[in-house]
Amino acid sequence: MLVLLAAIFLLHIACICLLLAATIHNAWWMSNTMSTDIWSRWMLNGGTWNYTEIPDHYPKEYLQAVQASSVLACIFCILGLFVFVAQLYTLPKGKRFLFTGAFQLLAWLCIMIAASIYTDIFHKDKEQGWYGASFILAWISVCLTFISCITYFILRKKTA
Amino acid sequence: MLSVLALTSVVLLGIASQITAIVVYTSWERHALVGSDVRLSCSFFSWQWTSPDVTFSWHYRPDGAKEGIAIFHYVGGAAYVDNKGPFRDRLEFVGNPSRRDGSILIKNLDFSDNGTFTCDAKNPPDIAGRPSSVRLLVFEKVPVQAGVITGAIIGVVLGLLILIVAIYYLMRFLVARRVFSLSMSKHGKKGKGKEGSQQKQASAHLCPP
Repeated sequence: MLVLLAAIFLLHIACICLLLAATIHNAWWMSNTMSTDIWSRWMLNGGTWNYTEIPDHYPKEYLQAVQASSVLACIFCILGLFVFVAQLYTLPKGKRFLFTGAFQLLAWLCIMIAASIYTDIFHKDKEQGWYGASFILAWISVCLTFISCITYFILRKKTA
Repeated sequence: MLSVLALTSVVLLGIASQITAIVVYTSWERHALVGSDVRLSCSFFSWQWTSPDVTFSWHYRPDGAKEGIAIFHYVGGAAYVDNKGPFRDRLEFVGNPSRRDGSILIKNLDFSDNGTFTCDAKNPPDIAGRPSSVRLLVFEKVPVQAGVITGAIIGVVLGLLILIVAIYYLMRFLVARRVFSLSMSKHGKKGKGKEGSQQKQASAHLCPP
């Protein structure tokens, strides 16, 4: 029983870590001399990395939508953790962790919106580069938050 | 007591007016479209009363240039605008010096108007102070400012969430209170009825010896 609880808790913490890494690290799109999105661009100039602004030809509204939804996903996931701990102590026996599941559902929705908008709108012209670590972490977070959400909707409180 | 307070405040004000300088306020940055008008505001704070000899002067330094030119001067109740430089016939004084406002209006902007505008205000005898600059950026299309949409989306979603949770708990509280008051009235009636029948039974037991 305790092992199951620890596993679910660790899954939630892993979701938070992946979401934070995807949101904060500017590495959604990379090339040999560049690591960019969603907040700014790192350019490699003769051995040193320089912190520069994202160029103006990016569709600004979509970029800010991606920023907003990934930040919201982080917020909802972290709030969900606190709600889970609170529900552990206050939920009567036999009830489901619906409130926590709701927060994880919202987090899943937000990160899915962010990842989908980014995949569909940005870097469609055949420029040099490949999808970076943060992009992959964002999509992995989509799966993990979904699994976590389903777990909370199914799980029942065993002991009072 | 009151007179002591009044005296201390006057003395402090007198001291403060000697040691603080005039402070000039302008915006940090202004964005405007090509062909539109922009109002550059300038105001100041000074411990002295607004003197009739108050002066305002505006300087303009284009982007990339080292030195600037003077484009506006207000002194002795009269405003003198630039009539030879790049702003001739485009500059207008829209401020109110008695209200400490030295704003100017630049009409029909062009890309060459990008630069830094510096406002210097003097309120004799309070003349020691630093001028303040506002940067003018002229665009063809007003760009979306960094972070405005992001902040708006995050704020609206979180606000809706808090609202929904608050309404949910309010509903639960109200329903619980209504159920509580209903059960109280029901319990009261039942209790009296039970007591009455118990009393009748007790008296019935007692009566026939």
